[in-house]
Amino acid sequence: MPTIPRLLRLSGTEIYNHTPDKNFLMIGERTNVAGSPRFRKLIKEGKLEDALEVARQQVINGANVIDICFDDGLIDGKVMMARFLDLIQAEPDIQAVPIMVDSSKWEIIEEGLKHLQGKGIVNSISLKEGEEAFKKNASHIRNYGAAAVVMAFDENGQAATYEEKIRICKRAYDILVDEVGFPPEDIIFDPNILTVATGIEEHNNYALDFINATRWIKENLPFAKVSGGVSNISFSFRGNNAVREAMHSAFLYHATQAGMDMGIVNAGMLEVYDQIPKNLLTAVEDVLLNKDDGATERLLDLAESYKGQGAKKLAEDLTWRETTVEKRLEHSLLKGIDKFIVEDTTEALENYKKPLSVIEGPLMDGMGIVGDLFGAGKMFLPQVVKSARVMKKSVAYLEPFMEKEREIRIIKLTKKLQAERSDLSEKNARREAEKANSNGKIIMATVKGDVHDIGKNIVGVVLACNGFDVVDMGVMVACDKILEAFDKENADVIGLSGLITPSLDEMITVAKQAEKAGLGAKQVPILIGGATTSAAHTAIKIAEHYSGPLVHVLDASRSVPVTTSLLSLENRDAFIAENEIKHQKAREKFSGAPKKETISLTEARAKAPQIDWSNYRPPVPEFTGTRIIKNQSLRELANYIDWTPFFHTWELRGVWNEETQTLKTKNVEGAKIALELYHDAQDLLEKIIAEKKFTATGIYGFFPAHRDGDDIVVATTSGRVAKTSSRSQSKVVFHTLRQQQKKTTGKPNFALSDYVAEKDDHLGGFVVGIHGADEWAAELRKTHDVDEAIMVQAIADRLAEAFAELLHHRARISWSIERPSQFTKTELIHEKYQGIRPAPGYPSQPDHTEKPALFELLNAQEEIGVELTESCAMHPGSAVCGLYFSHPESHYFMISELQKDQIEDYAKRKGISIDEAEKWLGPWLGY
Amino acid sequence: MENNLLKELQKNLTERIMVLDGAMGTTIRGYELTEEHARGDRFKENHEDLLNNGDILSLTRPDVIADIHRRFYEAGSDICETNTFSGTVLAQSEFFVEDPRKTGGIKSPEFFQKRVIESQFLKDLTWELNVESVKLAKEQADRVAQNDGRKRYVAGAIGPMTVSLTNVVDANDTAFRPVTFEQVKDAYRHQIDALLSADCDILMVETIFDSLNAKAALVAIKESGTDAPVIISAAVGRGGETMISAQKVEALWNTFAHVNPLAIGLNCSLGPDLMEPFLRDLGNAATTNVSCYPNAGLPNPLAPTGFDLEPSHMYDYIAGFAEAGLLNLAGGCCGNTPEHIAAIAKSVEGKAPRVVPVLANV
Repeated sequence: MPTIPRLLRLSGTEIYNHTPDKNFLMIGERTNVAGSPRFRKLIKEGKLEDALEVARQQVINGANVIDICFDDGLIDGKVMMARFLDLIQAEPDIQAVPIMVDSSKWEIIEEGLKHLQGKGIVNSISLKEGEEAFKKNASHIRNYGAAAVVMAFDENGQAATYEEKIRICKRAYDILVDEVGFPPEDIIFDPNILTVATGIEEHNNYALDFINATRWIKENLPFAKVSGGVSNISFSFRGNNAVREAMHSAFLYHATQAGMDMGIVNAGMLEVYDQIPKNLLTAVEDVLLNKDDGATERLLDLAESYKGQGAKKLAEDLTWRETTVEKRLEHSLLKGIDKFIVEDTTEALENYKKPLSVIEGPLMDGMGIVGDLFGAGKMFLPQVVKSARVMKKSVAYLEPFMEKEREIRIIKLTKKLQAERSDLSEKNARREAEKANSNGKIIMATVKGDVHDIGKNIVGVVLACNGFDVVDMGVMVACDKILEAFDKENADVIGLSGLITPSLDEMITVAKQAEKAGLGAKQVPILIGGATTSAAHTAIKIAEHYSGPLVHVLDASRSVPVTTSLLSLENRDAFIAENEIKHQKAREKFSGAPKKETISLTEARAKAPQIDWSNYRPPVPEFTGTRIIKNQSLRELANYIDWTPFFHTWELRGVWNEETQTLKTKNVEGAKIALELYHDAQDLLEKIIAEKKFTATGIYGFFPAHRDGDDIVVATTSGRVAKTSSRSQSKVVFHTLRQQQKKTTGKPNFALSDYVAEKDDHLGGFVVGIHGADEWAAELRKTHDVDEAIMVQAIADRLAEAFAELLHHRARISWSIERPSQFTKTELIHEKYQGIRPAPGYPSQPDHTEKPALFELLNAQEEIGVELTESCAMHPGSAVCGLYFSHPESHYFMISELQKDQIEDYAKRKGISIDEAEKWLGPWLGY
Repeated sequence: MENNLLKELQKNLTERIMVLDGAMGTTIRGYELTEEHARGDRFKENHEDLLNNGDILSLTRPDVIADIHRRFYEAGSDICETNTFSGTVLAQSEFFVEDPRKTGGIKSPEFFQKRVIESQFLKDLTWELNVESVKLAKEQADRVAQNDGRKRYVAGAIGPMTVSLTNVVDANDTAFRPVTFEQVKDAYRHQIDALLSADCDILMVETIFDSLNAKAALVAIKESGTDAPVIISAAVGRGGETMISAQKVEALWNTFAHVNPLAIGLNCSLGPDLMEPFLRDLGNAATTNVSCYPNAGLPNPLAPTGFDLEPSHMYDYIAGFAEAGLLNLAGGCCGNTPEHIAAIAKSVEGKAPRVVPVLANV
């Protein structure tokens, strides 16, 4: 009887069968927003074409399966998962391979499964939520036919030790195979690769625990596979790639020997095992295999030399002892040297008099530098822990002095309180006085649903080292428990930690409940930290629910200055104010403007700008009808380019000064890159002009027009437009939208129609396009020159904008509202002139469906080959269109918060359904 | 009971190559029906033409459908498919709901939700259509079985749709799909529930152009909780990939092995000659029965059935496949008349079925 071996068999449009000769299944990890900052950035900016390119590159580079993950607080993971997988279906070379749908949110997994035609892998499920949920989810995955990664987690959290790992994997295996009917070959265990060499003793055996657990699984759980996220192992050497690469290779070497089948590995971060220098390999393997207690220390020493700095002989070189006491303290903290710390602290206390001043002065300065270096990847976790220990030693020396001071202060304060409030018992007075004096007590917790606590533990250690009283509540802590402990402990600060994305939602819950409990009103600080948290997410999604100070803490070392500032009487207010400004900026960047109060359409119309038309004669353009520019000189356009937005393509913020050729920004590195980019762009632009790579076509025109309510009626009876008899009688109506925000400043509620007179006025319009860029960029993408493709399109965009500027300039002159050479180039860029050129789809009139009327009016498609797609996008991609308004008061404004009454009115005026109007104006609706 | 049926079918399949039926659509054409016939009194006022809505004939011309079933069973089919190839609300909507594109709209999930998925008319119509179709086939199965003493089976045909979950319809937004997975699944579920309520023996997800649509149907089957035998059959192009979603046949097997189907196979799109290499690939991969019901060659407008191959040609090809040990079930798709099926039945008679490989725990 013929047989077919039981293998993990996957598919995209092609098969992937994990036959024994395959050795190791490579999972591409660059399409994971948590693993690739570049991919995350592309997704956040909606550059899905380029994001697809990342996926494609992985397939080309040999990934057998690609891992796709959108777990990020600022990405709608469910929507993006669906969208991205649908996009992949249009890419034959990408959809060939099986896909790993990766999320910690079950709803995203579910969504992903609905968009995979082949057999993929779900990453991941676990026993974290108990057996019932586990079985339910596994059955669901079974219905869709996917394989599944099973994390070694259970109701009590993450399996860190060998015993926990094998116990949980065995339990999961038995449930899956015996109760759910899951084929064992489709079970992929992830027994948690955890970071070693953290300086924390309990972590020393993590690599070995994983390797041994892998061996056990392969021997005892037939057909099950083992996988893991390899880069985790070396996390404490962030920034030192030579060491990390060696660690990854050595770890993989030992883990695959033990039977590990696959892993999430960045192939670019992998040294060839045999080529690892002997001494480094020994040091790395000593750490991985936990040879002895000094292994971490040895690797740390050796790591220095792999940063190209050469080994340092600290003991012999004592020149640093000759500097000031502040510098010496800083040096000791940075290098983690405790030999001289008491001596130096004594000296500092003599200088500073008060022990607290020593702490808040040179010691905190030193820790601040440590934090910066760690943040920049220039210091590693074990080094930070060492610094904290030196700090602790210094603080320990100072403590008795502080204790004495404290006791005196408390006695004084207690007496004072009793004198002020006779009802206060001595005990209570002392309690209040103590509280007023404490360095501060912090409740720390990993929020409900999350079991990760390494980061939180480190924060706890560092804070405790710095004289704070830390109450660590552990992991999976429910919101009410946190608030209860805060009360009971009479604490000052709450610290929330979380590693997985759902924790972000739980943090919001805690913020809401804390607000409800009145902590916001009491201005109790809440600290937010953990790998998935971010300053932006904290500002945008969490802070709005809490009226007290809510601060994102980037890493452990930052926790000390932040907490110190928050609890310091002098610095507190300034720090909170600064934090609030940061939040405000982040929010503005995210959403543009906060939600506003609104008024009815009738009221908004009554508040339209009062323009005195009786004393105004609208200017008359020198021609009506259209003028066409079939082949605009690119050289001339180049002079009109505003380069500032060009740099935004590369995330370089700042203002470009053409004269000095500098990008005005605080980011020094960024300014350098900008200059390089500028030179590259100039070279490319020169090539484009010389080789006529692009063709620029444009059309503009003027037409008699008058206002009719919020509409503008344009007559097409004269000029070149009147080609056919049917057109000659026709009119084109532009529909405008009116602001409905309630304005407290007494400012009017604008609509674009306000700038057109009720009779005898004119309206202009234009369309420009840069042809040739899309095709060229597509070619470049084919040859995988993505950067060049982006550059080509960015330049084409600039040229299109420049063309729009140039035409507007000509139009204003034709309209005799501007003299030639009236303004300098800078003045033009700053829009000092009269009149505007708003485009449909932009803030003043966000409705893209106003474009067809404009295109019809100008006959743009036929005349200059710029097409409008069904979704009202322009083709070529680098194209600009808009209307011209001449009125001196005309300016750009922003439409938002549109109300139902206006949408009804607008739909009726346009002759479309309300549904249709709502569909196109979705983001601007305020109901 | 259904489990017993599954056992019974599996036993049959180890003993002989079972015979499927031929084409419904092209055989209907032999009856030279008119638009009036298709509409009957019931759909006289329908604003769209119904002649090409073959499924509707189960309601307006049950005599014709019953006759076709009878002819196939008498020609030697063990299993006939119900006349429900387009028996979902999504497929039927093409004949009853005005295409929004006619009035400047688009086919979108919103359109399908409001006008199709939630349309009581379409739900009632497709329910009735599926139930009546099963009844028609069952009656003939029982009658023919009584006459010649061999048991006949009815397979509920679950066809592809006119909308695809993988196909790009908007070049400007390649992620846009006119329907959602959930809608396709719901539509299939409704059909499946109707087929099962009328006691059809087998569920047959067939002519798979788009593996994701098929996945929706198969998830719907799983979610319905039935343990009725399932046959999965794909329509592949000349490169051996599903016509729309471009999935290779082995990849298709990997995708649907978890369904543990009674059989997986290929049908439609190609004649037997062009189908052979892919049938081999599938047979080498699948640890279940393999079915094959190709078209009678390629379309040929000059031939009486509209297709190239005569019954004798089909006899030669299918006999060859059977001798090569490629087949567990055989039949014909477009262009195969009852005469073709008689030839096919004869060609596999007495020939050993393909030996189904077993999954080895090595």
